[in-house]
Amino acid sequence: MSEIFNLLLLQNTLRTATPVVLCALGCLMTERAGFMNIGVEGMMLMGAFFAVLGSYLYGSWVMGLVFVTVLGMLLGLFYYVFSVTFKSDEFVIGVALNILAGGLTVFLLRTLFGVKGSFSGPGIVPLPTLTFPWLERIPVLGTILSGNSLLVYVSWLLVFLCWLLLYKTPLGFHLRASGEAPEALRASGVNPNRMKLLASVLCGVLASLSGAHLSLGYLTMFSENMSASRGFVAVACVIFGGGNPPRVFLAALLFGFIDALGIRLQRFIPSDLTSMAPYVVTVVMMVVVVLLKRRKKKTQEER
Amino acid sequence: MKKPHLPAALRALAMIKPKQRLTAQYLLSLLIAVTLAFLVGAGIMLLCGYDPIVCYTALFKGALGKPRAFGNTLAKTATLCLTGLAMSIAAKAGIFNVGGEGQLYFGGLAAAVVGARLIGAPAWVIIACALLAAVLAGGLYAWVPGVLKVKLKVDEVVTTILLNSAAIYFCSYLANGPLKTAEKGISSGTDSIAASFSPLIRLSNLNGSIFVAGVAALLIWYLMTRSTAGFEMKITGTNPRFAKCGGIRADRLMIWGMVLSGMLCGLVGMTEVFGIHKRFITNLSAGYYFDGMLVAMIMRYQPFGVIVMSFFFAVLTIGGSAMELSAGISSEVILIVQAVIIFFMAAEGGIRQSFSAWAARRRVRREAAL
Amino acid sequence: MAGSPIARFSHVSVRYPNALANDDVTLDILKGEAFALVGENGAGKTTLMNVLYGLVKPTLGKVTIQGQAITSRHDPMRAMAMGVGMVHQHFMLVPGFTVAQNIALGSEPRKNLIFYDMKKINAEVLALGKRFGLPVNPTDTVGELSVGLQQRVEILKALHRGVDILVLDEPTAVLSPAECDDLFQVLRGIVRDKDMTVILITHKLHEVMQFSDRVGVMKQGKLAGIVRTQDTDEKRLAAMMVGREVLFDELRTGAPTDREVLRLEGLKALDDRGLPAVKGVDLTVRAGEIVGVCGVEGNGQTELCECIMGMRPQTGGTVTLSGRDVSRLSPREIRGMGVSFIPSDRLRTGLSAEATVMENMLVGKQKLPEFRKFGVQLRKKHAVDYAKRLSEAFDVRSGGVDLPMKSLSGGNMQKAVIAREFSFDTPVLIINQPTRGVDIGAIEFIHEKILEKRAAGCAILLVSADLDELFRLSDRLVTLYEGRLTGQFANGTIGKQEISYYMTGGRQEADA
Repeated sequence: MSEIFNLLLLQNTLRTATPVVLCALGCLMTERAGFMNIGVEGMMLMGAFFAVLGSYLYGSWVMGLVFVTVLGMLLGLFYYVFSVTFKSDEFVIGVALNILAGGLTVFLLRTLFGVKGSFSGPGIVPLPTLTFPWLERIPVLGTILSGNSLLVYVSWLLVFLCWLLLYKTPLGFHLRASGEAPEALRASGVNPNRMKLLASVLCGVLASLSGAHLSLGYLTMFSENMSASRGFVAVACVIFGGGNPPRVFLAALLFGFIDALGIRLQRFIPSDLTSMAPYVVTVVMMVVVVLLKRRKKKTQEER
Repeated sequence: MKKPHLPAALRALAMIKPKQRLTAQYLLSLLIAVTLAFLVGAGIMLLCGYDPIVCYTALFKGALGKPRAFGNTLAKTATLCLTGLAMSIAAKAGIFNVGGEGQLYFGGLAAAVVGARLIGAPAWVIIACALLAAVLAGGLYAWVPGVLKVKLKVDEVVTTILLNSAAIYFCSYLANGPLKTAEKGISSGTDSIAASFSPLIRLSNLNGSIFVAGVAALLIWYLMTRSTAGFEMKITGTNPRFAKCGGIRADRLMIWGMVLSGMLCGLVGMTEVFGIHKRFITNLSAGYYFDGMLVAMIMRYQPFGVIVMSFFFAVLTIGGSAMELSAGISSEVILIVQAVIIFFMAAEGGIRQSFSAWAARRRVRREAAL
Repeated sequence: MAGSPIARFSHVSVRYPNALANDDVTLDILKGEAFALVGENGAGKTTLMNVLYGLVKPTLGKVTIQGQAITSRHDPMRAMAMGVGMVHQHFMLVPGFTVAQNIALGSEPRKNLIFYDMKKINAEVLALGKRFGLPVNPTDTVGELSVGLQQRVEILKALHRGVDILVLDEPTAVLSPAECDDLFQVLRGIVRDKDMTVILITHKLHEVMQFSDRVGVMKQGKLAGIVRTQDTDEKRLAAMMVGREVLFDELRTGAPTDREVLRLEGLKALDDRGLPAVKGVDLTVRAGEIVGVCGVEGNGQTELCECIMGMRPQTGGTVTLSGRDVSRLSPREIRGMGVSFIPSDRLRTGLSAEATVMENMLVGKQKLPEFRKFGVQLRKKHAVDYAKRLSEAFDVRSGGVDLPMKSLSGGNMQKAVIAREFSFDTPVLIINQPTRGVDIGAIEFIHEKILEKRAAGCAILLVSADLDELFRLSDRLVTLYEGRLTGQFANGTIGKQEISYYMTGGRQEADA
């Protein structure tokens, strides 16, 4: 038992949850702005690729992140133009984006690197692992809180910043209003579309960044379809986090935990089943959340 | 007490209504989109140092030139057509089945199991039983997210996508585990099945299953365009509240839409197993359902349009692989071409709206100034 | 009392691709006056004010506010900067935000440049409410407030910006008569004491007489005339609005039978928010009778109708049809028992905007052998012919029955809904706001059809916010206030003024 449930498991949880956290934060932005982006899966995949590309070409993880940020902004702009300016169906654009990402990354993989399946090598510089001695001094959890990849810490910071933005700044209020009551916002003199653009760009950057963690965080490689539906899990997390950053963070951690646990259990249980578990659990969670809401409503009515 | 905040976008997701009309205007836009996409593709080819003419010629030759290639194209058309119709029939009832891949896998697995176990019976009995099993398995797996959506309002887009992954893993577990092949020399999948569809064109993927597919497509087309049930589905899809108020069993229709969709996907799984691989393999589908989904979305879920467009997309896909073999450029460029078509068609309404609004404003100003 | 022009419209036209909303309107609004802008639905009143507020761009003409001309990039932000505030018919509020957050939207006070100074705005809003006689609690969530309070927040929003001109678009549509009086008192106070200019858009003539100094009449996009309120009366204004003498018919009573068809006993139900909306209603409707339910919208009427139709679960009480308890039945089953329904929100519940006219008209009949071959196939041609005949009988004007419903005007859409529902020839009709958003000619037509149904012996429950309509058609009137019936009267035994009191719970209010 202690082989499975130990601190290492928790550390793996943090590591596995991080791409979902980042992606979910991005998704949360567009969700609050009223146009949920299910193309984040594709954005994550492209982010993973371009991170490797940047790091490889320039021998620096900083360039990898720069590539990813620029990509994210472009993707966000792209999604905004199609969803808002051209009033396309968000579902169609999202799915098409995912397919495009799959095709494009494989195409570039073959054309630029001349390989199939995956690309890795010594030329790729990974993201740095950060240690914080003062964190290590915390009893019990100290050892796992320190020594994680850069984006893990960035994701924690971003959860806080997103919460701060949405609930403590006028800009955040405007963003929420652009999703909840855009006409009210417009009549107050603020252009809701500008808020949506902001949300979309933030989403693009965050989703792409999540991909960077996948390919440059602990591994240094890109493989086809490495996002493995994590983008959709992020969407599910946003739905049962109710668009609230800390709750979404917890949901993502739960997913990470199940995923990490699954990997641990692979020694005893066939890997297919453990791989399947997080997805099934997520669906069950979605149902549970709805049932709980219903019960809350019923008790409200009975009062 | 603070009320739980229902995400605005979740409501938006729940209210996405399929647009209904395939007007001449839309088809013209489609033509423009296709041309544009081919130009983009040509541009990419040039950038990578290939000659677009050579590539495109290889593509069309590779899809339509030889009987064998044509056979492959037809087989692919059948698959796309079925998955496209699967998406369409659910969408018509207002429910989005994105889980076709998973339903396909379960269908294929069920068919393979039946096929491997029924030994000694005449071929047509085996095929009929396998068909039944596949269709039931696919329908059942689709029924779950359907019920969740209708009774509990759990968003079906996310559940079906997640259930895809779950299904693929689970089927893989079953195929490599309890249902593993006993035959030697074969690495994964179930036992070979006792009967199969006979190939129609030598060395191609085209086989007897295309007739089954054809019949299924015809039935679905009839259901959607000519039947009373199809009419009720349309009303349900465009305004479920109105449908319910008007006495239509909207809930039941939505679930049926989902189940029928799953059944079609199960059927596709069965045809893959019985027609091509002769067994269940762990990577049965290379995204066949997603391709069909895209065709359905572009043709606005209109059955006839879906059938026609699936041929075109089949040409692109088969031709793409052939193009890679003969001209050398990676076949994924075709995916990019397809994506451009989709983006353009998705934005088509909005582009046209902006354009005509601009033109109208100009016209009105000119008239007023006179 | 009024001074020089504070806002001037000079030959303003607003043209849309298929409509001329404003046609060469020249109008001055004087400083410090209470101005009423009247006209029928669709006459162009709201459009004109939206031009002032920057929500609509004029195709032609000039507008100046306090001496400054508006630019081509005029928008609400600029309008507010120039001193114009507008309270819209459909509230522009964010339901999830608090009162203070809504009022401050777009002009939030900041702490250290980035952060929202919530304390400051809460204090400001509290003071603002007291100052104008519109007290509110800054931390209440707007979505949970009553409609009257929400409107108060809307008004405070405009006042918070420090406007000189306040425009209100049909503010009384959602208020009870007592709340209306309160509102006008506050508005007159604002004009008198705070030296502001108030423009009231309305189609209710008694409000005009009650509230304004001057009236502008809009008719089909044009300004038909401006008069001083003291120099005119309702009849003359009506004539200017419509261009003909508006007939206020005498009552056309029917002869209700004694046969009770619909009975509600102690009916209780919740609204969409989970709050009690219907709190124990007892009501009967007999064959050949029209029972009119009077009430300001939002007092449980819609929920009541939905309960009867099986679209909303009851939390108590029963619904009986011809002796049978139908309380737990689905809409399908209730329709099967002979009930048809015209809902108040046609776009949401009454039709499918995307489906064609023919398809909309077929709903409910699609399983009849007349329209179904072999038990499966739709007889399209029969359905098309039927739709054409029905359109003719009910004067539904469309470009063709195979066009989507959304291509029809509001009035024609309503007629299509009525055509479908009336053609079921059921003995019971539940009708909610039959003439909302419908032009005068169509209103006459619809009223005729309703009276025909009564003559044929139908039991009709008629819910409406339009007292004229109710008084014209009903045999019996009942008043609904906050989910309870507060009075029942035979038509002819009570006047419109009196019944207004019952619509507010029977509280006695002093005459305005």
